[in-house]
Amino acid sequence: MQLGDARSGKMAENIIGFGRTLRRAGLPMDSARIGVGLQAALLVGIEAKADLHAALLATLVCRQQDQVVFDQLFDAYFRNPELTQQLLAQMLPKATQASAKPKRLARAQEALAAVRAALNTQPREEEKIQFDAALSASDRVRLRHADFESLSASEFRLVERLAREIALPWPQLNARRLQSALHGIRLDWRRALRESARHDGELLFLPYLARRLEPLPVLLLIDVSGSMERYARLMLAFLHHSTQRVARSVFAFGNHLTDLNPAFRLTDTDAMLVQANRLINDFAGGTQIGASLAELRRTQSRQLVGRRIVVLLISDGLDTGRPEQLAAELDWLKRNCRSLLWLNPMLRFDQYQPTAHGAKALQKKADGVLAIHNLERLEELARSLVQLVKR
Amino acid sequence: MTGTLGVDSIDALIKALAAVGYQAERRLATAVFLSLRLQRPLLLEGEPGVGKTELAKALAKVLDRPLIRLQCYDGMEQREALYEWNHAAQLMHMRAQPEGANPEQLEHEIYQEKYLIRRPLLQALEAPQPGAVLLIDEVDRADAPFEAFLLEYLGEFQVSIPEFGTIKAASAPVTILTSNRTRDLNDAVKRRCLYQWLDYPERERELSIVREQVPQAGEALSQQVATFVARLRSAPFVSAFSRSPGIAESVEWAKALVALNTLMLDPEVVQNTVGILFKQREDIAALEPMLEALLQPEPDSEPSI
Repeated sequence: MQLGDARSGKMAENIIGFGRTLRRAGLPMDSARIGVGLQAALLVGIEAKADLHAALLATLVCRQQDQVVFDQLFDAYFRNPELTQQLLAQMLPKATQASAKPKRLARAQEALAAVRAALNTQPREEEKIQFDAALSASDRVRLRHADFESLSASEFRLVERLAREIALPWPQLNARRLQSALHGIRLDWRRALRESARHDGELLFLPYLARRLEPLPVLLLIDVSGSMERYARLMLAFLHHSTQRVARSVFAFGNHLTDLNPAFRLTDTDAMLVQANRLINDFAGGTQIGASLAELRRTQSRQLVGRRIVVLLISDGLDTGRPEQLAAELDWLKRNCRSLLWLNPMLRFDQYQPTAHGAKALQKKADGVLAIHNLERLEELARSLVQLVKR
Repeated sequence: MTGTLGVDSIDALIKALAAVGYQAERRLATAVFLSLRLQRPLLLEGEPGVGKTELAKALAKVLDRPLIRLQCYDGMEQREALYEWNHAAQLMHMRAQPEGANPEQLEHEIYQEKYLIRRPLLQALEAPQPGAVLLIDEVDRADAPFEAFLLEYLGEFQVSIPEFGTIKAASAPVTILTSNRTRDLNDAVKRRCLYQWLDYPERERELSIVREQVPQAGEALSQQVATFVARLRSAPFVSAFSRSPGIAESVEWAKALVALNTLMLDPEVVQNTVGILFKQREDIAALEPMLEALLQPEPDSEPSI
């Protein structure tokens, strides 16, 4: 495909096609932007490939992380279009899997249908436990105090649903934005003049401006190693639901760090869990807290500007990395956040004392250690969080 | 169009920027050129110290227009960015009126030009022909409501003051937004602007910047400074530091070395001046064991004296 003469209109088609390719690769793209790209290409001219590259880069790309994708696709598209398809397929493995799925689903469904016909009673019992709201009182008490590890699959699902209903009052901060109030730090002149206009120019009372209250931002670090599987899942559901009004960033760590923010942007908690499952690829692996925190420091440190952020570290402290690295990283984290809270499911053991070096380090550096192994503890967490975080 | 802007091509722009002391990469110059021609704002993102604000200043010099700067911060309101009435003076004016003054006349007098405090965004609209260069610095520090207001401003370049009417820019200002990427900006704002990510320069460009800004430094010293800083910013050393030194820091360092009459770098003088490159205690501590490796002479080139 030759880049034709601009007047003959071939270039417009090429650039529109390129824009659509970028959209398929996941870049945010709309027709207005492609139009601007076209104008830019006309201005810059197509003789110098580097200039065209720069022009399209400035107009079609708006995030630094998309630049790499753009570079690869530009080379492929304007030199060898067949290569583009291969590249796209590589970048979007999900796309090819999705097309394979329907076939599998049908066969699996047939197989399941046969099995279900044989074991007719099984699914109905499960449904009974899940949708039967009329639990006996002793059942309810038992579920509130039962450790998440000890629940059966259906009970766990029920408890997960109940956990989402726990309200979590979140610590708030005096923001810099002001709003009208009766008492405050400065006079609201606009309102004063407006009010005085109603009373013939007399100021009968002075309206003030006070600082708004905003929730503190939160950083959630969730350990997804083998020992934490149930707790991680439940805490993800609980926190996703209860921190919806809060500015949050979420990362899962095991052997390395996984960014869960795309999952947490979904409003439905079940959809979020599915997406989180897809994003995390070292579920039930080992734990390297120090290395994961180092990765966080390298890639995300700019977000911790301002020392306002509350860090919730959900882990059992069974770390297999180097102790000095963990200590250094925890120091850095403490320096850059308002409060570091360690949510530890190991507190389910009455006589728990931290013996693993990771747990010892966390115990020393964290501003507070909280238990999260059953529903009752979660409610306690919800009640006490505001006091634990310093104002 | 070319007459008013005075920039005919990307090469001319690069030359003009170099003439006022800003070394621009071709990619960046292309983005600036497009921003001028398509009359769209330009969003510059990058680490602190790569020259985003400097570009705006250089561009103002090249285009021979005044630079109007709006420094954003958290909680910034429209009142501080656009305009404000001088309420205290208005109240005094009202108090000073004799009894029985005509209310319409009074209102007309209260809302007059001299009681209107113009903030940067309004100043940019009212700048006389051929317009101004508007620099909106650190827009990521402002919050979401301010971004919504900014989106409207950047779309229309006009503002309506209820007591005055609509003020429209005679010629749209050349707008440059900078961000340190402490948070992601609203998609709508990004869509309105052209985008450019500024990276740290490579060794060659760093060298020419140091030569330009610190002419008193000898050639050997400039080469060493450029090599040292380029190595600091690349693997495997970069992962040890929380923040790499920017262009401003390397220029300052070169000036400091000249002030200390240094001809060649050695571990001692680097240790003495390390506070110019790094501002964190941990980074300074991390630098010390690496000094040997960093000060290795280039294997292929001979420093020319």
